[in-house]
Amino acid sequence: MFKTLVQKELKSILLSPKFTATFAVCTLLMLLSTYIGINEYRSSVKQFETAQQLVSQELRQANSWMGMNNRIFRRPDPMQIFVTGITNDIGRWSRVDDFNPIKLQHSSYSDDPIFAVFRFIDFTFIVQIVLSLLALLFTYDAINGERESGTLKLVFSNAIPRVHYTVAKFTGSWLGLVIPLTIPTAMCALLILLYKVPFTAAHWGAFGALLGASLLYFTFFIALGLFVSAITRHSNVSFLVSFVVWIVAVLIIPRAGVIAAGNIVHVPSVAEIEGQRDSYAKDKWEQLNQESQKLFENRREAVTGMSEEEKKKYEDDHMWTAMLLQDSLRNNTEKEINSYSVKLNEDLRNKKAEQEQLGFALSRLSPASAYQLTVMKLARTDIGLKSTYEDVLNSYRTTFTNYIEKKQKESGQEGGIRITMDSEKGFSFSAPRERGTLDITGIPQFDYTLQQAGFPLVDMGILFFFSAIAFMGAFIGFLKYDVR
Amino acid sequence: MIRLLVEKELREIIGSAKFAVSFAVCSLLIILSFYSGATNYKNTVTQYEAAKRANFRQMEGVTDWFSVRNHRIFLPPQPLATLVSGISNDIGRTIKVEGRGELDAVDSRYNDEPAFAVFRFLDLEFIFQIVLSLFAIVFAYDAINGEKEQGTLRLSFANAVPKEKYILGKLIGTFTSLAVPLLVPILIGCLLLPALGVALTGSEWTRLALIILAGLLYFGVFLSLSVCVSALTHRSSSSFLLLLVVWIFAVLIIPRASVLLAGRAVDVPSVDELASQKIRFSSQLWKEDRAQMAAFKGTSSDPMKQFEEFQQMMQKQNDERDKKMQEFSGALNEDRENKQRVQQRLALSIARISPSAVFSMAAASLASTSLDLKDQFRNEATAYQKSYAAFIKAKTGLVPGGRMVVMRQEIGGGKPKPIDPYELPAFKYNPQSTRDALNNSLFNLGLLFVFNIIFFAGAYIAFLRYDVR
Repeated sequence: MFKTLVQKELKSILLSPKFTATFAVCTLLMLLSTYIGINEYRSSVKQFETAQQLVSQELRQANSWMGMNNRIFRRPDPMQIFVTGITNDIGRWSRVDDFNPIKLQHSSYSDDPIFAVFRFIDFTFIVQIVLSLLALLFTYDAINGERESGTLKLVFSNAIPRVHYTVAKFTGSWLGLVIPLTIPTAMCALLILLYKVPFTAAHWGAFGALLGASLLYFTFFIALGLFVSAITRHSNVSFLVSFVVWIVAVLIIPRAGVIAAGNIVHVPSVAEIEGQRDSYAKDKWEQLNQESQKLFENRREAVTGMSEEEKKKYEDDHMWTAMLLQDSLRNNTEKEINSYSVKLNEDLRNKKAEQEQLGFALSRLSPASAYQLTVMKLARTDIGLKSTYEDVLNSYRTTFTNYIEKKQKESGQEGGIRITMDSEKGFSFSAPRERGTLDITGIPQFDYTLQQAGFPLVDMGILFFFSAIAFMGAFIGFLKYDVR
Repeated sequence: MIRLLVEKELREIIGSAKFAVSFAVCSLLIILSFYSGATNYKNTVTQYEAAKRANFRQMEGVTDWFSVRNHRIFLPPQPLATLVSGISNDIGRTIKVEGRGELDAVDSRYNDEPAFAVFRFLDLEFIFQIVLSLFAIVFAYDAINGEKEQGTLRLSFANAVPKEKYILGKLIGTFTSLAVPLLVPILIGCLLLPALGVALTGSEWTRLALIILAGLLYFGVFLSLSVCVSALTHRSSSSFLLLLVVWIFAVLIIPRASVLLAGRAVDVPSVDELASQKIRFSSQLWKEDRAQMAAFKGTSSDPMKQFEEFQQMMQKQNDERDKKMQEFSGALNEDRENKQRVQQRLALSIARISPSAVFSMAAASLASTSLDLKDQFRNEATAYQKSYAAFIKAKTGLVPGGRMVVMRQEIGGGKPKPIDPYELPAFKYNPQSTRDALNNSLFNLGLLFVFNIIFFAGAYIAFLRYDVR
């Protein structure tokens, strides 16, 4: 009996014109989004490789280790074909040098704002918005529609347990509606292979998990449609209720959660933090200048009354010590400024994390948020992307600047200009002889291996929980339903 | 007769549970969008003021105007940008200003606070574009074929009701019963703005009124489209499905596809390529100037006077280098901007097939959050840079920026007086004038009106041929 009911449900879905239209639209949208995503990924990779080559060229053409700086670009990830996330909203590159803190800047959308006007459409978007709406479209009249047409009464004139009927309804709807999701998804996977997108085993694993999360999300809306249909008498009412629930769950709650968190937890802007850093740096450099001035005065006092020969001997004896002391003071100042900058950034990050945690916790009242957060984490295009890159870049900065400092010492600090003022010799300017380009083969390379993203267990669990609740609601609702 | 038909339509719609629920939800969302816009505006103003204070604080204690570094200017928050975000959260809001050199806007809202980029904002544009268009479909998808299915259409035409009057009454009644009540929550939202401390100028109120007009025209497009499709089909389930597919394509697909098509059709040089060319050119110029500096020979025997001569030479070099750099960068930037403009024009032209894109463009132009915003900020910053450079030159005799060595001699002893950073010329951002905003949005507003006429006419013609039995 159960098998018959499932078959009946499956047939009614597969043979309806609604199904053909849904299947056609879903297939077209998914293939289109994947095709566009692949092309966008390829052009991002080309842009990335070109940028890297240009940076290498700049490094090769440098002829001094003084003030050497690097630029590191974020590498595109193939999973952004399916889940754009915040890839285009956060900076694409960061300068790496001794003077400036790590900061990802120049997002794709800020450089080419035309793409920000309407934004990208990806696989996630299609599942989240389109498929969920279509799932409701199929199931909003699953129970009360049959009651209105009189077939429910007929079905229950047989000895059919309500439990069987509900489960069969759900199973049949699920099987029938999962086809417009899985078949196009398989075709999308084929496109990936056809276009030789460099998918590793980890990427395929993430893609499989993405499909799983999409199925779970889809299941929720099927269960929701059944639930609403099982608690209302008329299909037009269930349609309206489902529609309103969809709007609130998919479009409103996710946004409202983050906005509410933005109002509750205030985070200073990056500009404010940079102003504080610059203020501190200015004070520290001023302090260094005063100390240097004092040392200079002390040296001048020490040679007062000496003959020219004695002055020269004193300077020769103390020059190296003075330079080392000056270097040490400068290094200490730079370290203090860096530490302060790190502390400021850490405070900012903590406040942001607090705001994000609250925002996402509130938005998780909606399965659409849970789904979005799940897939973004799987594709590594979530908000962790920025902080992950910045952490890795900070470690690289230390390695890079240490190497440059070493090279500067080895080359005898050449490259800097020297200005001397002497009461006898007068004013002079010197710049070292051009020595051609540097050997940059030893420059530390940035390691693009990022930490593996954790499995989004909590959000998957939330999706499962919502689906279970909706199904239980449909189950209990139908047990009390008047089938006449 | 038309009046009777309109009244019948009004009574049917307003008396239905569908209307009550939909109106409640729409009203709540509209008021929520105004509320969240107002609170978001206040938060961004707080951030803006704090950033300005931090900027001035880092100049406190400085005793020489030439030592002023890292002076930043910020794009002030605009009240209408919180109702129609446009690209305001995607572009850089901070520019570091020196006396010379290219200006670069950094720190976009979404880059600084990526949590908002995950789900984006709940603004008025979103409510109109997504929510109200869906509700328009939900209300009107069965305007004709629903009555046919119920049998009331046949009954109506059992009387001597001309078809043209019937469809006119239907369209007017549907629009009036749905669009007019929406003015109530919109008005409440508008009153909420000053109540929450968001002061709009007269010009901003005018623009807001036009944005609302655009929203209502857009709503009308989907209403008339729904009635048109209802008059082309005999079953309400078919018309709903068809309208849903049309909505998906018009609202979600066409706008995005147009941008991607234009991206493929017009090749714009990347900012990275340009940046690299500029860095290489700048290094080349600096190499040449350094050689010139090394060859410097002063005319005076006094070292201090020699250094002054050297400083003047460096200033002159800086000016020349800046000029060459400006010419070089200017040519590169102009080429890129021209290609970008071609790309944008193509994308927006294709996108205009969709009334959703047309509404989006009209609303963004009126709120000054369209693509022009980035150029406007940069132009204002460039003008400010000139006044900043002139100010510093008046104070120090030198234009800051570029590579220079400066030695300042203190005569007379005693501690020098710190500067007053508030003497610096204030950056006053002038948004696009209302006239320009209106001119930019007029075509799109007209297009929305044309869409309304087309679908209205479509519904009219389709119904004249409709089999009412």
